[in-house]
Amino acid sequence: MITPISIDMETLNLASLTPMLIAIFGALLILCVDLFTKYKSKFIHVGIAVSILLLDLAFLIDYSGPVRGFFDVMLMDGISILGQVIIIIASIFFIILPLTNQKFHEFSYPEYFALFLFMTAGFQFMIASDNLILIFVGLETASLSLYIMIAMHNRDKASEAAIKYFTMGALAAAFFAFASMIFYYLTGSIELNVMQEHLNKTNFENYTLILVGVVFMIAALGFKLSLVPFHLWAPDVYEGSSAILAGYIAVVPKMAALIVSLRFFEIFVLANDIWVHWILYIIAVITMTLPNLIALVQTDIKRMLAYSSISHAGFVLVAIMIGSTQAIEALFLYWILFLAVILGAFAMLWIHKTKEKPEYYGLKSDYDLNKFTGLVDKSPLSAFMFGIIIIALAGIPPFSVFWGKMYLVGATINSGEIVLAIIMVLNSAIAAFYYLKIIVHIFLKKRQDERVIQYKNMTNRILTFVIACAVIFTMSSIVLIEPLLNIISSAVKSSGF
Amino acid sequence: MEYMLSILIFFPAFAAVLGLLVNKELIKSYGIIVTAIEFILSCIMWYNFDNTDASMQFAEFVPLISQYGISYNLGIDGITLFLVIMTTFITMISLIGLSETKDVKNLILSVLFLEVAMIGVFVTLDVILFYVFWEFSLVPMLYIVGAWGGKRRIYASIKFFLYTFTGSLIMLVGMLYLGYLHFQSTGVWSFDLIQWYNTQLTYSVQLWLFIAFFLGFAIKVPMVPFHTWLPYAHGQAPTIGSVILAAILLKMGTYGFIRFSLPLFPDATVALLIPVAILALIAIVYTAMVAYAQEDIKQVIAYSSVSHMGVIILGIFALNVEGIGGSIFLMISHGIVSGALFMLVGVIYDRKHTKIMSEFGGLAKVMPMFAVIFAIMLMASVGLPLTIGFVGEFLSLLGFFAVSPILTAIAGLTIILGAIYMLVLYKKTFFGPITHESNLQLKDLNSKEYFALIPMVFLVVYLGIHPKPILQPADASVKQLIEVMKTKSIKAETKEFLISVNTTGEKK
Repeated sequence: MITPISIDMETLNLASLTPMLIAIFGALLILCVDLFTKYKSKFIHVGIAVSILLLDLAFLIDYSGPVRGFFDVMLMDGISILGQVIIIIASIFFIILPLTNQKFHEFSYPEYFALFLFMTAGFQFMIASDNLILIFVGLETASLSLYIMIAMHNRDKASEAAIKYFTMGALAAAFFAFASMIFYYLTGSIELNVMQEHLNKTNFENYTLILVGVVFMIAALGFKLSLVPFHLWAPDVYEGSSAILAGYIAVVPKMAALIVSLRFFEIFVLANDIWVHWILYIIAVITMTLPNLIALVQTDIKRMLAYSSISHAGFVLVAIMIGSTQAIEALFLYWILFLAVILGAFAMLWIHKTKEKPEYYGLKSDYDLNKFTGLVDKSPLSAFMFGIIIIALAGIPPFSVFWGKMYLVGATINSGEIVLAIIMVLNSAIAAFYYLKIIVHIFLKKRQDERVIQYKNMTNRILTFVIACAVIFTMSSIVLIEPLLNIISSAVKSSGF
Repeated sequence: MEYMLSILIFFPAFAAVLGLLVNKELIKSYGIIVTAIEFILSCIMWYNFDNTDASMQFAEFVPLISQYGISYNLGIDGITLFLVIMTTFITMISLIGLSETKDVKNLILSVLFLEVAMIGVFVTLDVILFYVFWEFSLVPMLYIVGAWGGKRRIYASIKFFLYTFTGSLIMLVGMLYLGYLHFQSTGVWSFDLIQWYNTQLTYSVQLWLFIAFFLGFAIKVPMVPFHTWLPYAHGQAPTIGSVILAAILLKMGTYGFIRFSLPLFPDATVALLIPVAILALIAIVYTAMVAYAQEDIKQVIAYSSVSHMGVIILGIFALNVEGIGGSIFLMISHGIVSGALFMLVGVIYDRKHTKIMSEFGGLAKVMPMFAVIFAIMLMASVGLPLTIGFVGEFLSLLGFFAVSPILTAIAGLTIILGAIYMLVLYKKTFFGPITHESNLQLKDLNSKEYFALIPMVFLVVYLGIHPKPILQPADASVKQLIEVMKTKSIKAETKEFLISVNTTGEKK
């Protein structure tokens, strides 16, 4: 006879589930609202989505319950909450961006916004758990929504991008499942903390198989983080998706994947595993160097930013490899600062859509470098803002990314990896060259072609507000580092890193 | 007076932001007024400066990132006082002499931001903040060279940017590592330079860090073999860019040597003294020869800059009061003289749109006043006694004489070689028959140019006869610097060496 299961609602700690449930509820709400109203406007959908996300955010910040919840699969520790907050804030800004004066195909569907919320919930689940199955489910929920959203962008390369991303993502999912399987076989658990205990207790017995598991895991996470050699999808997907989604892909999924990697690789970093150390070392070095070199020859800004964001991912991988408290703090600091800059950069690309087809002006695509030639003469203010954002991306002080970079390089040096620190700064120097190319086009070159580029009238107060937020954050970051670091360090320390 | 330095840093920044609202026709007067107020402010600071106090004055301290020991930490001493005043002075003069008309608003706002960065570099005592200003100065300069320069301006500006950026990134690694060492020895994170002066470092660490900082500074100075960006940048930059670059930006490198390399790594400095001196000598002799071979007037002055910067380095690495004091004086004088020379080249370029020597000849007949002022600046550049150039060059060489008489003798060639290429330039441009008909119509200096050049001529003569106002405040600070080096060095030989080179004027 089966013993009746009696669960106390207290121990379930439903509060830990609430933020994700809010997002999912919001997604369903958008679909229902669409069913019952005749009046269809993206403003109403964006409005619902933003308020739902704000509610989600409020519950997260307010969360003070126990760390574990819901049969121990939920994990609401400091970095989990911090990561979710970052993701939600980013999502709020990116979901506002469709509110232009122009009509776009994909934003006329309410499903787009519903999928956006499903995706956010997926990423939240991914972060708020150390159970490999739940991470997997979260990852797939988010990814599938993302593939569909990319495909909804009805441009030439959109379906190519979506299918490429989907097939590669499916492969990565398989790797993830395989890695989970191996670790389940080895340790009898799919919970990272139990795995860690077991592995330490048995002194990493059956090491070859562990390494096989690690390799599969690196492949799976490396795909999401776009680490070389799993980065090949990135430029094509960026090119094919709309500027909004490309910017989103550059930061949010990576934030989630970074936290999962952090939790996973911590097991090995704490155990001083030489093999994992070196494999991460090599991947980090290649990931920051190779895309930088490829980016030098790109003429499409979106592809260039794709390669640059791969390179940035290589930078933060260093933090995971080192694993010291300062390095983890640096990781979050870097990513928050990077987020603001990427938001600004892609929003800038988004609002500068040409009136006619790009070919009319002799451009290869809508994101051709030549499109921005002589922007400073046409609209000095947006040139100035774009300039600040690009200079910040290049890591030139006193703008935001510099501080993340400095803190990360500092953490690298403090853990004795001087050579790696030098490789990192030399990469910054290489990267400066292609960022300067954009600056050269905006500020220094004059457009020779007599076909003057006309832009669509995209900006309204809302978009200006988003971009102004990003630029002001970037410019004033010197005084924001201290409060940010305080928040980050309390979150990181409370999670035991 | 408490917030004097903050006012000096942020006044041009606020003015530049407000300047966005100023009408295009008025922007030049606006720029001149702002920089003139800035200059007056710096003079007020000088008036309140206590010459006898060797420590940091007008100090300000606000923690910025306390977890990592980064703070907003300002201060000024005898070494930087005149560098700041020269910065405000040259910026003002260069705006007065500005003849550019295209996009002049953007240009003037960039110059104001550049002024912020330059003053920031000289007055910050926090190492990371120093780095922030140091790097930020590249951005407006990139824009100035790249947007208003000559035909190959984009190549020149990017080369300038990448060269200096790479060097300073290596320096950043050095800074962060030094911060870590400081943390290890004291248990407190701090990037306060004055506190770093108290941390003792082992010899091998000093060597590595010296090299890291050397790369950052040497590229900026520029020292051979890192000088190749300079002729391009100068050749392509607009007049105002060249003036600021030669007069102030290059001084940031030599200032870095005095403020960082010497007191932080005394043992490494003494150990690497001769190699550095040899690099400086190569710069002095080789670039002087290259200058002689140039056909473009601006390139001659650009190479002569490299050559004179070699003398400054030599003076710094003499490690005694005469040498370092002399090199500080030479920084000021080279700033004024090269700034004026570039401006003079700009004058002729505005009229003729060429800088090639063979296009001219006999200019003394058509432009007599121009020729006179050019001659005075040229004499100062060569180092004629009773001009500003002589004092610094003489003291630098005198200082280095205590280190090595032979090397000093070779370095003395700078005066002869300088005289050769400068006088040849003068002969080709100003004397002889007028070969080109069109040159007969050239107009002499106009009132705007007089306004910019006369103060410089005055300074060249006045400070040449009476250099005390600059040398005296520097004296106390330099003495203290050498004391820091003595106490911080860990090797007995270093201490002996420092004592042995600091005996000039004591043995009677």
